Amino acid sequence: MQRNQRIILYILLLIAGASWIVLSADTTKVSASNNTTAPQAGFTAPDFTLKTPQGEAYTLSKLKGQAVLVNLWATWCPPCRAEMPSIEKIYLEYKDKGFVVLALNMTYQDDPLAVVPFLQDHGLTFPVLLDETGETAFAYQLRSLPSSYFINRNGTVSEVVIGGPMSEALLRARIEKILQ
Amino acid sequence: MITIFRNLFAPPKHLILLVIAAWIGLTLAEKRAERHGLSKDHLNNLIFYGIVAFIIGGRVSFVLQNIPTFTKSLLDIFSINPDLFDSFGALAITFIAMLIYGQRHNLALWPTLDALTPFFAIIAVGLGLSHLAAGTAFGIPTDLPWAIDLWNAKRHPTQIYEWLASLLTFCLLWFKKSSLHPGLTFLSFTSLTAGWQLFIGGFRSSNILILNVLHQDQVMAWFVLMTCFVLYEFRLKQEKQKPVY
Repeated sequence: MQRNQRIILYILLLIAGASWIVLSADTTKVSASNNTTAPQAGFTAPDFTLKTPQGEAYTLSKLKGQAVLVNLWATWCPPCRAEMPSIEKIYLEYKDKGFVVLALNMTYQDDPLAVVPFLQDHGLTFPVLLDETGETAFAYQLRSLPSSYFINRNGTVSEVVIGGPMSEALLRARIEKILQ
Repeated sequence: MITIFRNLFAPPKHLILLVIAAWIGLTLAEKRAERHGLSKDHLNNLIFYGIVAFIIGGRVSFVLQNIPTFTKSLLDIFSINPDLFDSFGALAITFIAMLIYGQRHNLALWPTLDALTPFFAIIAVGLGLSHLAAGTAFGIPTDLPWAIDLWNAKRHPTQIYEWLASLLTFCLLWFKKSSLHPGLTFLSFTSLTAGWQLFIGGFRSSNILILNVLHQDQVMAWFVLMTCFVLYEFRLKQEKQKPVY
């Protein structure tokens, strides 16, 4: 192919590319992901109402305006247990700035009698909720434990961290972001 | 099938796909390295230093961007969390590390990039698969018959488009019969990749926008494509100007 022909081809391809960018640009795509609920960054976090072992109910959607960490865990899961002290420390550090932790115990696949002693042994002060039916785990499409969802003040999932244990630095970096 | 695959490589196991891709890519690149005038040792060293720089660079860049959070827990700099990572910083530092290695060993830029192309091409294939496993880089909702169920909607399987396009790119370059001037294999790979990223980006649900409408990944791909065209012509011109003995 001659040089001039190639240059014409490049220009045509670049014009086609630019046209495709403009044609495929659509602001509704962004709002579409915000209106749909899904456990993925950019989507509204799936709502749930669960109770603590003491019977106190918490609903995620009622916490709008606050930054929330939803942590899915079980007592038999070593990385879940390992990250709890860090979560507790960070919770105490940030709770006055509007940060809430909801630790969802996967009670349907855990020993319900082991939960309360675990909380007492580790001196956890944030709300621990019991998912006895697995409904919330299903809504969050749980595939690995622990799974953590950082939800901003608008109720949108900002970051998802699958696996653990999460370090304090990671928690701080993510929480600073959702508190903004 | 997709569900089984996604369950098998659910995060953080999706990273295994990238490790496998790196291994296959390195094996294939080794086979063709000498055709481009690069020894296997140099290729292995270059990729080894590149991977080390990528891992360290990603962490260093993340730490530098979040210094206040690390001053309170200094040891977390060495934490095994893969999420304490900045991809752009990692790529930049990898590029610098490979450039330094290349200069210290007098490696010619364009043939070296050509030799590395199979490695990059297989990494792109692995990246498409890891996106599918993790459910990231997902598509916009659609009613098309080949839509996949993802994040509570029927969506364009953009990760599968990405995987197929990168596989096709690899096959085109690997099985091509004619030999190209130095640098043109790499530039062909980069322009093809930028081209399909630009196209597939139109079906992707992107949250990063420019001027609130344009997808950032598409705009970046467009600029990469334009740069490739300029460099392609530059390389052809350089080759024509070479003295013939």
